[in-house]
Amino acid sequence: MKRRAFTTALLTACATLLSPSSAAAQLSDAREIAERSHLAQYYAGDSGRAAVEMTIKDKRGRTRKREFVIVRKDAQDGGEQRFFVYFQAPGDVRRMSFLAWKRPHGEDARWIYVPAIDLVRQISARDKFSSFAGSDFNYEDVSGRHWAEDQHVLLREETLEEHAAYVIESRPSEGRKSSYSRKLTWVDQATWLPIKAEYYGKKDELERVFQSKATAEIDGHMTITAQSMTNVKKRSTSTVTFSGIGYDLAVDDDVFTEGRLRTPPRELIGG
Amino acid sequence: MKTPLVELSVRRPKLVLALSVVLTLLLALQIPRIVIDTDPENMLPADEPVRLASDHMKEDFGLHDFIVVGIVNNELGVFDPATLGRVATLTDAILEIEGVVAEDVLAPTEVDDIITTPEGVLRVQRLMEEAPETQQESRRILEQIKANPMLRGKLASDEGKAIALFVPLESKDVASRVAAEIEQVVDHSGAEQYHIAGIPIAEDTFGGEMFMQMAVAAPGAFLVIFLLMLYFFRNVKVVLAPMALAMLTVTATMGLLVATGHTVHIMSSMIPVFLVPIAVLSSIHLLSELGVRYRHSGNVATAIRQTADELFVPVTYTTLTTAIGFLSLYLTPIPPVKVFGLFVAIGVALAWALSFTFLPAVAMLLGRDTLERFAESSKRDAGSSIGAALHFMRRHACARGKLFTTVGAVVFAISVFGLTRIVVNDNPVRWFKADHPIRVADQVLNGHLAGTYLAHLVVKGEPGALTDPELLRYVDRLQRHLHEHDNVGATSSVADVLRKMRFQLKGEDRSEAILPATREEASQYLFLYEMSGGDPEDLFKFVSPDYSQANIWVQMRAGENQAVSSAVDEANAWVATHPLPPGIELEWTGLPYINVVWQEKMVAGMGKALAGSIAVVLLMMIALFRSVRLGLVSMIPLSAAIAITYAFLGYSGRPYDMPVAVLSSLSLGLAVDFAIHFLQRSREIYREEGADFERTMVRFYEGPAHALARNIVVIAIGFVPMFFSSLVPYITVGAFFFAIMLISGITTLFSLPAILSLAHRSFFCDAKCREQQPQIAGISS
Repeated sequence: MKRRAFTTALLTACATLLSPSSAAAQLSDAREIAERSHLAQYYAGDSGRAAVEMTIKDKRGRTRKREFVIVRKDAQDGGEQRFFVYFQAPGDVRRMSFLAWKRPHGEDARWIYVPAIDLVRQISARDKFSSFAGSDFNYEDVSGRHWAEDQHVLLREETLEEHAAYVIESRPSEGRKSSYSRKLTWVDQATWLPIKAEYYGKKDELERVFQSKATAEIDGHMTITAQSMTNVKKRSTSTVTFSGIGYDLAVDDDVFTEGRLRTPPRELIGG
Repeated sequence: MKTPLVELSVRRPKLVLALSVVLTLLLALQIPRIVIDTDPENMLPADEPVRLASDHMKEDFGLHDFIVVGIVNNELGVFDPATLGRVATLTDAILEIEGVVAEDVLAPTEVDDIITTPEGVLRVQRLMEEAPETQQESRRILEQIKANPMLRGKLASDEGKAIALFVPLESKDVASRVAAEIEQVVDHSGAEQYHIAGIPIAEDTFGGEMFMQMAVAAPGAFLVIFLLMLYFFRNVKVVLAPMALAMLTVTATMGLLVATGHTVHIMSSMIPVFLVPIAVLSSIHLLSELGVRYRHSGNVATAIRQTADELFVPVTYTTLTTAIGFLSLYLTPIPPVKVFGLFVAIGVALAWALSFTFLPAVAMLLGRDTLERFAESSKRDAGSSIGAALHFMRRHACARGKLFTTVGAVVFAISVFGLTRIVVNDNPVRWFKADHPIRVADQVLNGHLAGTYLAHLVVKGEPGALTDPELLRYVDRLQRHLHEHDNVGATSSVADVLRKMRFQLKGEDRSEAILPATREEASQYLFLYEMSGGDPEDLFKFVSPDYSQANIWVQMRAGENQAVSSAVDEANAWVATHPLPPGIELEWTGLPYINVVWQEKMVAGMGKALAGSIAVVLLMMIALFRSVRLGLVSMIPLSAAIAITYAFLGYSGRPYDMPVAVLSSLSLGLAVDFAIHFLQRSREIYREEGADFERTMVRFYEGPAHALARNIVVIAIGFVPMFFSSLVPYITVGAFFFAIMLISGITTLFSLPAILSLAHRSFFCDAKCREQQPQIAGISS
């Protein structure tokens, strides 16, 4: 990993020096950084699973907890992905499960299973910016926003929390919907994972802050194992920790079908 | 009577004058630090349970106080592309206004609706993403509103003639500014009308206009009184003295109020209007007497000493009774009323002190010419119209004592019966006249919608309690019961959210619009709402995140206390017969309910204050006259005045509201003054005249009665400028004070002689008088 990062940095430096128009070069570099970062964060391995503990704390300090297992399989890097989410807690929503087919440039398809009335229903996928499971993360934060949806600029390089980082500014490309008007991401030059991201709203006011809290190398992939999202306006914070992380598992495509919501893959969800 | 202050003023008038002015100016320096508070919620202490509950509720459910913007078109309705387009534009503009809690605005383009798409996809989405392009789509939005129990009656009227935007405010005191900014961005190119309603706008606008009114009413009262004084005394220089005294009193009192860190609230803003007439009352007596005495002695210092000797006791007593009447307000549990009572009492005491220092000092400095002309003109009193009226009263009252006493007793009895018919009621919106835009908006919007008055009924239990199907069914039945009440236009709760979720999940089948059967089902629907694109914050306006509390929104059409408490009582009665599940509690909050609470407290507090001050004043009267009988008689004019004016409320059906409640205590201390002067001074004359009642009355009505009559006119007319206010409470206060002062004045001058004429000996003759001149009683009777 380190060597790859170093090579990229070297190439970036050379490209900057050699390019006749440094602005153009910078743009393409920023885009590449965004792409690499996106792939590192969302496409590690061809498939993956993790047990997730999510704590949502509101401005009054009231907390809500969610526990679920998430299983993912990619069609190709940067392309379609399928997610299976199985809720374990709180107790009353146990056995609810959720299926999403992520389409990077189109509408996702989502289904949910309501065990209390034994019903599977397709649910809205119209926008990717609504809250995921009532947390400060939205759907797009969980499944990733394709780098081509934004225009990126490398603002500077700086050290953040003892990590050398690229500071990338991303703005939605012409005609692309977005929850932000501008996003700043600090990308760790060593791991390509984001250390921090700031989301700015319509009036360029800071709305949300993402922070990576812990990372670990798992099956050869640098992985964020704890992260948080703070909604500055609502003064609420959602903290997520991942455990039981695995990559490149044998996951049957059949897992990601409507029919399997009622009979989740026990071997993957661990319950 | 030794009065060292009067002596000092006679000897060192310039020093006394300078001291009074300098001390007042020192206090006046504090006035620029004034803090104005227009929030009627502060009628309750900040730690009052209902206010704490309301604050908790707002925090727990992320709620704010709302103003309501109504868009109405009675002919064509408002669900067409053009109107909806203007509504969308207006909403966008409202979101940008400072002080608006943008994320909580309820508007077609801001609220979520749960729908099932033709493809069978469940979706929580904006009710109206952008203005529709066709009439058909526009109508569909109306149908969606009607099919959503969280929106129906709130966002639009069922016939589609009105749309409401609920605009939450960061604080109530920005309401009138926000409303003004909304009015600026309204697009008036369509046929629809725009109205802005809601309690915060009424309260805040009232606060703003209140100070405007005071800026007009206080100088107005000052001017009217100045003119009256000029009419009475016909000497500008002399009249300027009491006017300056009133000015000093008001300035010093307000300076002290600000200096002691008090905010100026609705009540305390009235202090100047009350103090101006009260401050000159003693001066009228003193100046009238001074004129007479000066005519006799021709020496200012002597005249002043004599006047002070003669009037020190009655003026001190009237000051004490007035001060006590106002101080009795301190017994109420309403902080602004306490402050008002305390500072008017301080002002009254100050006016008393100035009457015996500042006033004589000014008199000493008046030139000989001025005093002589003044003394000369005071002779003319006897022939004036007041003199004629007084003469008329004395003759008839004394000649037909029995008749007038009987008539008085009957009027009093009828009035007391009327008191039993008084209805306690108030609504901040009614503080404005019927044609005020706020009143119009209130009427129009509450005619179309399910109500702009939002009360909240909070259901509290353990975490998770609200997913219990039993409790949900209970909440649902309680809502149904509330609906039956006339004043309740709509209610919405988490039960409605759940029923709606089930209805959508089950393919929009009407028969499936039922409540969840299990805890799991309820929890899963709520979770599903969050997973389907719904903003969790919207859900948390109905149920707390840990499901321990639910908030039932109760929309009411009328904000009058009676209408609100009637609905509340009805719900409480139902709860009493339908026991809550164990561990569950209910609590009412919301602005309409807070108003009910403080006004109930106010009425009870005023009753206590009134009883307290009547008792104290009665004891003081007994002590002053050293006679229980005279003490009781002295209470007659004010009792009659209060009974008659309040009976008017009872018979006319006019509600007993906040301003009226305050009045009773205020008038008490002032109304008894007339009786004090009458009884104290006529008793002295009676003794001088050797128990000759007729002679006593003639002398009284030729002399002191003139000052008394002037007093009555000044205090009554002093409140007349308030008639011209645009705010109903000020008109009420002005009109009632006018009536109370006039009635108690006339009762004093008319009924007291009538009653006394029946048995003057037993009232006026003490033991000594009876021993010394037993035969005189026989001669005069």
